[in-house]
Amino acid sequence: MAMSEHDEIRELLALGASGALEREEEERVARHIRACALCSEELEEWRLIATGLRRLPTPQPPRGLVERARARAEVRLAEEADRRWNRGVLAFVIVFAWVITLLSWPLFRLVTGGFLSLVEPGLNKAWIAFAAFTTLAWVGGGGAAILLSLHQRRERRLA
Amino acid sequence: MARDTEVARLKRGDLDALSELITRYQNRVYRFLLRIVREPAEAEDLFQQTWLRLAERIRHFDESRNFEAWLFTLARNLAIDHLRRIRPASLDEPVPGDSRGETAADRLASRERPAIEGILERERATRLGEALEALPVSYREVVTLRFEEEMKLEEIAQVVGAPLSTVKTRLRRSLEQLRIRLERKHPGMDWQ
Repeated sequence: MAMSEHDEIRELLALGASGALEREEEERVARHIRACALCSEELEEWRLIATGLRRLPTPQPPRGLVERARARAEVRLAEEADRRWNRGVLAFVIVFAWVITLLSWPLFRLVTGGFLSLVEPGLNKAWIAFAAFTTLAWVGGGGAAILLSLHQRRERRLA
Repeated sequence: MARDTEVARLKRGDLDALSELITRYQNRVYRFLLRIVREPAEAEDLFQQTWLRLAERIRHFDESRNFEAWLFTLARNLAIDHLRRIRPASLDEPVPGDSRGETAADRLASRERPAIEGILERERATRLGEALEALPVSYREVVTLRFEEEMKLEEIAQVVGAPLSTVKTRLRRSLEQLRIRLERKHPGMDWQ
């Protein structure tokens, strides 16, 4: 069964008092309450409740809580910055390791065998050398990362 | 906007900006958490967790978004997770363990005398607060965000992660429930 205009408006009154209606709905409610004393009265009641809710006393956080929260959040912010820095360093180390690896091999060949040796197939030897350089670079990079992280942890503990 | 500057500074790791934001929002965040979990000790713990979470996630905050809504979303998610973990039944109010469906506010109110004309505003606020406390959490959060935090419906929708239409429905139903409780417990009470 279709709702009457009066019933439809009554459904909107609570939201109307909350300032939560669309402009069109607001205008509709305003038009209706001019002619309907019942809805006008009810809207006023909703408004009183809404006003009461807006005026509820604000509980204050206990003394000390805010300072504790502030101190902990500052530590966390610093830790996050450390973590980001560590990640950046690690990324740099990885890139550096790869650059060293890729550059070392042609340089080594250039120095030891001249330019032509670069295009010489010699795959087996090439791969062994490549693997050796890679291992060296990664071990070096990993070691640097571990040292860095130990150093940071020590610093944090001292702080 | 000053607030945006603080957020931008915080994103760069400025501790003063963090301090300013905590000072600005401390009462509102605490009030919101207390309205959701209702236990001061739990609200205090969640208050600290909210700022820790903010410190962890601020770098990922998109400054084109509304900071307040984002902050209250962090607080709300922590509070809801907490309730789900610690008191899952509290997500389906009324008060758990009460076979008659009577709420904490009902019990508190039932000890009081019937309302009389000219009652003090403080008492009215207490009763309204009790009625609010007795609402289910999904209604309570919408009411507090709308009336205490004065958020727009779109912002509330963002905080509670629900469509706008759902927020409207919850707001309307929560007010209706609130009114029914008030009228039942304090018939004839003058709210002016």
